[in-house]
Amino acid sequence: MIRAQFAMVINLDKCLGCHACAINGKKVWTNREGQEYAWWANVETRPGVGYPKLWEDQERYGGGWVLVNGKLRLRLEVEKKFKPLEMRDYYTPYTYDYKALFAPEVGEEQPVANPINMYTKKPMEIKWSPNWDDDLGGANIYGKADPNWKNIQASIYMTLRNIFMFYLPRLCNHCLNPACVAACPTKAIYKRKEDGIVLIDQTRCKGYRYCEIACPYKKIFFNWKTGKSEKCIFCYPRLEVGLPPICVETCVGRIRYVGVVLYDEDKVLEAASAPEDKLVAAHRSIILDPFDPKVIKQAKADGVPDNFIKAAQESPAYYMFKKWEIALPLHPEYRTLPMVFYIPPLSPVIASMGPNGTYDAKYESIIPSIDEMRIPLQYLANMFAAGNVDEVKKALKRLVAIREFFRRINVEGMSKMAAASVLQEVGLSIEDADLIYKWLALGKDRWVIPTRNRPPRLASQRIPSIQSS
Amino acid sequence: MRKGTLLGIILGIVVAAIATGLGAVLATSQTPVILVHYKQGAIPLNPDASFWSSVSKVSIPLSPQMLVYPQTYKSISRTLKVAAAYNGTHFALFIEWKDSTKDVEGIPGNISAFADAVAAEFPVNSSGMPYICMGDTAHPVNIVFWKAGRGVENMVAGSGYGMQPGEKYAIGMEEATTSPVEELPPQAQIWVASAKYENGMWKVVLMRPMGSVFPLVPSFKPGETTSVAFANWEGSLDQRAGMHEISGWFTLKFAPLTATGTVTPTPAKTTTVTATKTVTKTTTATVTKTTTVVKVNKGVIIGLSVVIIVLAVALGLALIRRHTT
Ligand code: SF4
Ligand code: SF4
Repeated sequence: MIRAQFAMVINLDKCLGCHACAINGKKVWTNREGQEYAWWANVETRPGVGYPKLWEDQERYGGGWVLVNGKLRLRLEVEKKFKPLEMRDYYTPYTYDYKALFAPEVGEEQPVANPINMYTKKPMEIKWSPNWDDDLGGANIYGKADPNWKNIQASIYMTLRNIFMFYLPRLCNHCLNPACVAACPTKAIYKRKEDGIVLIDQTRCKGYRYCEIACPYKKIFFNWKTGKSEKCIFCYPRLEVGLPPICVETCVGRIRYVGVVLYDEDKVLEAASAPEDKLVAAHRSIILDPFDPKVIKQAKADGVPDNFIKAAQESPAYYMFKKWEIALPLHPEYRTLPMVFYIPPLSPVIASMGPNGTYDAKYESIIPSIDEMRIPLQYLANMFAAGNVDEVKKALKRLVAIREFFRRINVEGMSKMAAASVLQEVGLSIEDADLIYKWLALGKDRWVIPTRNRPPRLASQRIPSIQSS
Repeated sequence: MRKGTLLGIILGIVVAAIATGLGAVLATSQTPVILVHYKQGAIPLNPDASFWSSVSKVSIPLSPQMLVYPQTYKSISRTLKVAAAYNGTHFALFIEWKDSTKDVEGIPGNISAFADAVAAEFPVNSSGMPYICMGDTAHPVNIVFWKAGRGVENMVAGSGYGMQPGEKYAIGMEEATTSPVEELPPQAQIWVASAKYENGMWKVVLMRPMGSVFPLVPSFKPGETTSVAFANWEGSLDQRAGMHEISGWFTLKFAPLTATGTVTPTPAKTTTVTATKTVTKTTTATVTKTTTVVKVNKGVIIGLSVVIIVLAVALGLALIRRHTT
């Protein structure tokens, strides 16, 4: 069974850390009572602990799937010890006493708006926030706790922490094998058959919070007021009229891309059960080539509309994740097959780590320098490839090659044909390079969003989840 | 005589074991009955009303739900005390239970609390006894669910209820039922509730009109008999969804409509009924005396059930023997 699925790509190399995506997501969807602490879209600084604190530590939170004797099971069911999150895992939501600014008492000093606890309405001291360690603030304390330091020596970390950082914008990944869906006892969460968006039906949700534990990305937020859980809806009301999600449209860095991919639903379970080092490859293997006549025929037979197939052929997500392999899933080892992909940061391309932790620019041999880049490959591999360094290397090499290709043309005045030798080395064509340049450098055509006449909502239009028991 | 007793015990064990294993109904000579008293005039919704303290109550022993995900791995054994009354127009259930912690949802900013809750289920139709865990297509169950801090909800369970998509759509339900339990549409929300927590005890009164025009909600009639089963959630143990304590089926018997006046109140007296009538597969309703938090697994439940059945049979027969010799 071939299905269409919306996917997103986020180019970490160019994320400004401006939080426009997070703020707009908040303003549009969660700026209301019950969701004060919830950030469906958020931006983290790495190395750092993220939001909620240390969300990647599944020993603490119990998210995702684990393989038990080759069978996929929810971690929360294997070890029945996990609890839903508490407010302190996020932060205490606050506002400011703005009145003090407009009706100040006459005095010597400037009026100040002091922080106020949103629940008690009393003045409070801010001790944590959704981006407390923004721009490595306090990284000397928190940075080391980042779970992605796995297999990296502490001594290396101490040097590295002074020379690299990057931003990690996050949202629900609208996974192909969503743990949240499988964990819901009332089947309130479903994956839309027509486009794979994962939604919580607010009429059937009973606030049991199993999904919250099961989601390894901690992208389910319990609304204490309604007693129901909520999550990112991929801005489906916008998508349905051809608009991109709000975090994509308002992205200041123009680094968010949205498109459709076609995938083989029958292979999901197999891909999610692959050995750790093959998870990225297995994930790629179920995304299908939208130009393959056999795929097109089957997709049509399975009810994928023509405009979705056409959109899949123009989809940045298809090219970046599947064709060029320059985008990677976040923590594939959670085995949910997330559908938000990340282009790993080069940061910046030619600087590498020299002796004593200084910047070192090795210019002539640009591709081999990948191994000596400022951001340790193992760190990126732990984050985007379940530890498989080769996947990260492949992506970075291609990104470096594109830059070198255009540098040769624009700086050295080489012809495209002559410059293309660097592309051949990494298996890209000139057409690929032009398209990558259009998307990644110019930021044009960042989304391709097909719409369809929506039939009345039917429960039968939900993709059955893999039940782990 | 001695031989007969021994044979009786062995037979009892075998029958109990087979019946338990097959998920069949076990019935003892003493059928657990909750009498719905007829009361003239208004039935008080206030759980503190003297009517509720004076009316006789039935003890409902509970045991952890272990059949479906999510199973009950943390539990405290507890017993509900239940009374029921009707007055011609309305039917009310009074439920109380001991609970050392008051767990309420809906407190601003509290996202980690799970609430104490109680539910009662009734067969939707009289065609047979529904499967105790959420009914089945031919025998759906109507569930009234009360949760501390959130209130009362009327729900239905039973995989599609044997209705066509169009029929369901027409009464405001989803065409294709995918959830094991579904909230009924607004016009079927006929229950009101009031609750009080005091001195380590929850008292809840649930009330609804006797009649119902909604197809998936049964009507109650004077003099008639139906069934009822109970469930209870302990918020402090994070109990929610299937992770909870359940009872077996009890007979719910409406007293005849008497012209002369109330049948009750009778002097406060608790009738203890051993609920061995159950349609669950592994859990016959058992009363364990542990008050500490226990981690329960299926094996323990089966083992415990068998031991208790054996003890009960042995005790019964021993008593009979003492009386006859
Ligand atoms: S990230 Fe995946 S598992 Fe988490 S809420 Fe989204 S779809 Fe569910
Ligand atoms: S809006 Fe774009 S550039 Fe700004 S933080 Fe979000 S993803 Fe990064």
